[in-house]
Amino acid sequence: MIYSLLVLSSPVSGQGAQTAAAFAQAVLAAGHTIRRVFFFDAGCYAGADLAVFPQDETDRLGPWVELAEQQQVELVLCISSAIRRGQLDATEASRHEKPCASIHPAFTLSGLGELVDATAHSDRLVTFGG
Amino acid sequence: MTDAGRNTLIVIRHTPYGSSLARAALDAAMAMAAFEQAIDILFLGDGVLHLMPDQDGAAIGVNNVSKLLASLPLYDIDSVYVDAASAAKYRLATSDTPIAGQFLDQAQIQQLLSRNDHLLGF
Amino acid sequence: MVLHTLNAPPDSTAFNDCLAAIAPGDALLLLGDGVYCALTATPACDAILRCSAQLYVLDKDARAAGIIGPPDTVTVTDMPGFVALTARYPRQLAWY
Repeated sequence: MIYSLLVLSSPVSGQGAQTAAAFAQAVLAAGHTIRRVFFFDAGCYAGADLAVFPQDETDRLGPWVELAEQQQVELVLCISSAIRRGQLDATEASRHEKPCASIHPAFTLSGLGELVDATAHSDRLVTFGG
Repeated sequence: MTDAGRNTLIVIRHTPYGSSLARAALDAAMAMAAFEQAIDILFLGDGVLHLMPDQDGAAIGVNNVSKLLASLPLYDIDSVYVDAASAAKYRLATSDTPIAGQFLDQAQIQQLLSRNDHLLGF
Repeated sequence: MVLHTLNAPPDSTAFNDCLAAIAPGDALLLLGDGVYCALTATPACDAILRCSAQLYVLDKDARAAGIIGPPDTVTVTDMPGFVALTARYPRQLAWY
């Protein structure tokens, strides 16, 4: 089956975001495919390359980067949710005259059209919130 | 499924001004409509407070959500449903709301969930 | 057939809204803060046992919260089990 994930959970609050990453791994392990993971609202913090977590805590970014780099899973941050939360790529940083990019290159910024495409072409759309 | 995509229900449970989720839900709905996807919107629980008359977002420096709702028909979003029990709890009458919605009881809400392909909970 | 995933504690609006939306043939997966609804002999647990859904709780979140020995009719499931649930139920609705 073709899955897409909608991630609304912030990686710094609760378990939703980490559960989403583990779920994505399990989807692929079960032999399904993932069309896209779309990060929306507070979920956009998943792409934060400048976030620093205590060393004894679970890596929030690593599991997503692994999904993108090892399994070619497309990770999309909703651009409007992302930039208002300081999640910018180099293009947006330049456009808005901000000092630097702040998202990991495993993630791309794009519009809600990517979510629409995901819902139109996926057998399963699984949302993670809270 | 046909190339026309899937039917999606957007469930809005959060208040219009207390959470960024509410605006996110409406943005998603308008994007889907703009791409001609079939969508329904359900205001459930505290989400029915989107339908309060006399909203004035300018008082807190934000866009007025009720004006946004009133523009949904321009996006061809006509299937708007409202949790009748929560509307009654908040004393919201059909005549006052910024958008015409169908008020549903519990059984009708269950049926609405089951006749859509994707359910997005906001 | 809907898979409801509840990530909110007992007596939250999400808990109440979710229970009202459950129809026969649905499933309810407790995760995150939702696992507290599996605390045996609490009002919330009694409420979910009465609802018409098949009941599941996500193992890692239940362990983190100290939920030991949920009722027999609440199946403890792992991540592959969660995936299997989403494959079986055509639609999922997140409550939080």
